[in-house]
Amino acid sequence: MSEENWIEVGSTDSIEEEDLIRFDHQDKTFCVYRLTDGFYATDGMCTHETVHLEDGLVMDDEIECPMHQGIFNIKSGEALSPPACEDLKTYPVKVDNDKIFIKID
Amino acid sequence: MKNNIIILGGGQAAIYAAREVRKNDTDSNIKILSEENLLPYERPPLSKDFLLNKKNEDDLYFHSSDVLKNENIDFENVLINKVDFENKKLFTKNDDVYSYNSLLISTGSENKKLSLDKNLNDDIYYLRNLEEAKTIKEKISNKNKITIIGGGFIGLEIASSISQLKKKVTVIEIGNQLMGRIIPKQIADLVQKTHIEHGNDIILNKQIEKISKKNDIYEILLNDNSLIETEFIIAGIGSTPSIKLFENTNLKLDNGIVTNQYCETSIKDVYAAGDVSNFYHPLYERNIRLESYQHAQNHGICAGKNIAGVKTEYSSVPWMWSDQFNLNLQLTGICDDYDEMVERGNNINNGVIYFFLKNKIIKGACGLGIVGKVGRDIRITSKLSEKNTIVDTQILSDETQKLNKLIQK
Repeated sequence: MSEENWIEVGSTDSIEEEDLIRFDHQDKTFCVYRLTDGFYATDGMCTHETVHLEDGLVMDDEIECPMHQGIFNIKSGEALSPPACEDLKTYPVKVDNDKIFIKID
Repeated sequence: MKNNIIILGGGQAAIYAAREVRKNDTDSNIKILSEENLLPYERPPLSKDFLLNKKNEDDLYFHSSDVLKNENIDFENVLINKVDFENKKLFTKNDDVYSYNSLLISTGSENKKLSLDKNLNDDIYYLRNLEEAKTIKEKISNKNKITIIGGGFIGLEIASSISQLKKKVTVIEIGNQLMGRIIPKQIADLVQKTHIEHGNDIILNKQIEKISKKNDIYEILLNDNSLIETEFIIAGIGSTPSIKLFENTNLKLDNGIVTNQYCETSIKDVYAAGDVSNFYHPLYERNIRLESYQHAQNHGICAGKNIAGVKTEYSSVPWMWSDQFNLNLQLTGICDDYDEMVERGNNINNGVIYFFLKNKIIKGACGLGIVGKVGRDIRITSKLSEKNTIVDTQILSDETQKLNKLIQK
């Protein structure tokens, strides 16, 4: 993995546990999550309709879309509950010196 | 002989039930009998993205025929017109016979029809299935003035879509507010304001006296003697459970098919799920009948489990949504049985929610906001309601405080 693809999101204390923040980079938008066992990242928009998951509810390892309650696994991106049926893209995350980075391809 | 499970009705509850049976029972024959010659499809987009050409027919199906084939679920397009519960048989009008060991009835609901001038019955359009949505889409393409009779969810969603197609829309509602059957007036008024801002005319508290047709124009006379001229009429005035087939049988009916919390009807080995079922809800300790996406899905799944022998109680907190313009309206629980109402937020840009509580326990909530703004709090509300959690109303009403702190882990 080349270093230049790791994009800094912010500090680790910018996200509460079992919560997420929205992160925009160039023309893309992401959600970055803090779960009990670490940080994760997915695409920002729900795969079902045009709504950002930043306003969704994080429960355990799942993010639930605020519009129609489609549910995705945050770690795998798997669509778990309709109306969502298309998986959510996930991105690698690393923490370095209390800063969160995501790897955007 | 293999066990035969028949699912009568081919909608959302049917497909979720069939797949859930298969998950728990790899042996039985499972057959869905559907009046529509279409695999089960999603209805919510019909009044919205389908009319707006943002979704086409192929986007609507829950599953491809391959999924059904892989799971060994038969789907047959057939019209059943007689049921013999005693001998566990269903008949077509040609006396083709389908025998079952277990039967799930998921025949859904059907539109109430306006009874005005009989000569104009075919001039009034309704939207429930894909065929009707296609017809409306095609017929309105060269019309500019469209009238919708009924200010409920379906009427308003169509009004929103047609308005976005740059047509002049008038909505006529007999009640004194929009969506009056289940939506609190405070929220209904905000929805009404949005429709008016987008150029739709909303007429409340008026009855239709007469509809007449002159050339290609309809004249709708209201009870205050006002006259509305329109080129096309769509009605959405409510629905009734599809139970005609069972009216002269022993099956217990009362606003649908009466079921207990296990989707069981009054007849052994006969189950009902979805819109057609008036089911006992243990949380509210009474029977309710729901017409919603979430309910059709979850009730179907619950019925599937019970048919497969996995005894499962249905206690989902009701939840439904409506999308109109850039707004998302959500409702959870029951909003008509409360001793305290709490308001959260005052601007639809950030979301407005009304909570309905009894003895400090949330019984229901209704929220409206720009897409995405009320969903999380409504979802948390469902969880609080489900667990009968006593809540601090100060937190409910304070937008700066997150509601997830109310969830007790």
